[in-house]
Amino acid sequence: MFEKTYKSMNDQITPTPSLVADTVKLIQSHHRPKGCKSRPFYRRLFMIAAMLALCIVLATPVLAARIPAIYELMYLVSPEVAQLFMPVQEACEDNGIRMEVVSAYLHDNTAEIYITLQDLTGDRVDETTDLFDSYSIHRAFDSSATCQRVGYDSESKTATFLILITEWGDHDISGSKLTFSVREFISHKTSLEDVPVDINLARVEESSATQTIYAVGKSGINLSKYTSATNDFVVLNPGMSICAPISGLDVTAIGYIDGMLHIQLATSEKRTLDNHGYFYLVDKDGNQTQYDYSVSFIEGMDSNDRMDYQEFVFDIPKDEIGDYTLYGSFYTSGLHTEGRWQVTFPLMVSEDN
Amino acid sequence: MDFESQCTATIASVVREYADMVYRLAFAQVRSKSDADDIFQEVFLRYVRNNPAFVSEEHRKAWLIRVTINCAKKYWSSAWQRNTVPLDDNYRFLMPEENELDEVLRKLAPKYRSVIHLYYYEGYSISEIGKILSIKESTVRTQLTRARTQLSNMLKGEI
Repeated sequence: MFEKTYKSMNDQITPTPSLVADTVKLIQSHHRPKGCKSRPFYRRLFMIAAMLALCIVLATPVLAARIPAIYELMYLVSPEVAQLFMPVQEACEDNGIRMEVVSAYLHDNTAEIYITLQDLTGDRVDETTDLFDSYSIHRAFDSSATCQRVGYDSESKTATFLILITEWGDHDISGSKLTFSVREFISHKTSLEDVPVDINLARVEESSATQTIYAVGKSGINLSKYTSATNDFVVLNPGMSICAPISGLDVTAIGYIDGMLHIQLATSEKRTLDNHGYFYLVDKDGNQTQYDYSVSFIEGMDSNDRMDYQEFVFDIPKDEIGDYTLYGSFYTSGLHTEGRWQVTFPLMVSEDN
Repeated sequence: MDFESQCTATIASVVREYADMVYRLAFAQVRSKSDADDIFQEVFLRYVRNNPAFVSEEHRKAWLIRVTINCAKKYWSSAWQRNTVPLDDNYRFLMPEENELDEVLRKLAPKYRSVIHLYYYEGYSISEIGKILSIKESTVRTQLTRARTQLSNMLKGEI
């Protein structure tokens, strides 16, 4: 009863169209996105990342010897940049995986931190290693943070990540302590992009096996055209696998509902392996049609049998669908590794800075 | 369309895509239209300023949730300065029980409002909430239990 009332109450809460329009206008008139404007900044970042990747590739696999080597090479390539980074070399180890904070560089209200992850016992860390959303950055100041993989050395089985932290106010972050922790990561990722899916669309029928679900996610270029204010959607009943475009993802239903083509993709490993994908249609002339909207829903949320579904909906009349071929792109991970890796270190400004 | 225009158009589409989610979460915490409006704009301005990179839409959504909650925390830290609330700042919901629940949620400790919203409205599991908010699963469970207890007492029944 509480859940139903809470949902229905919140469905009535929406930003006014003028608030949304004003926000968009504000963005357009006063703020240019960093990624568009700050090309020199990213060129510098790219240079630093490329340099570090070079360092890792050339460095010896013995960790103790690797860190000084990074700095030696940094000085060879660019003494100015190398001087900006402060060595940190704080490390921890769990489950045969070593995490190390190699170096940090503070400038303006931003901290750039390089962290390495190395598998000491196997090959769980590879060139596709992804910290997923499992990392946490605890700091004593209000800020935003991002983390991305910038390099991999196959010889020492070490992946390097760059963390960027931007302070939001006028707080001086120098001298602050920062804790970076990782609980899990995924690796051995595979992808199949732009591949035909083995389903004959001409045989797709109107479906009466439908249900109304509460969507936990929705997206699509024409989402607003087809959805109401609530998160209730009519979708196909999940069935047995019709086909599996890639191991870990199954098409569990396909059919027409109210004149629109619905295709349902299911995975039992979305939470741990981030398996996902999407479909599109290609006509006889090679023209692509994207889905109009998609909705996500979950069955058995807190059980061991949890299944995550995403249903893709195309507004293509049934008598025309035989002219199209179904294509898709699919992404899965092969390995999920858990552990407790946590390093606390101070953010210090280089004396040379 | 040039590169810069494309970037701005992409951000505008992100605003429209996540407008409802961000606004509802902001309102769930501050329970005031005008404050939710302020938080809404602040969240997307931070999105533009920081231009973070995401590995998936779920990642983007989690980032927006974290920032919305952080912005609401800033609101609470300065809320003591406010001593008036405009009369038309509240929603009038369609059903009497919804208005009653709204009143009860205003009395619920602010720190519990976000877990209630993420669990009961956004449909996240306890472990997912822990990851999004960067807090332990056990902390989420405790907050959820305490929130339920407070709500049960105020609603005079099980929830």
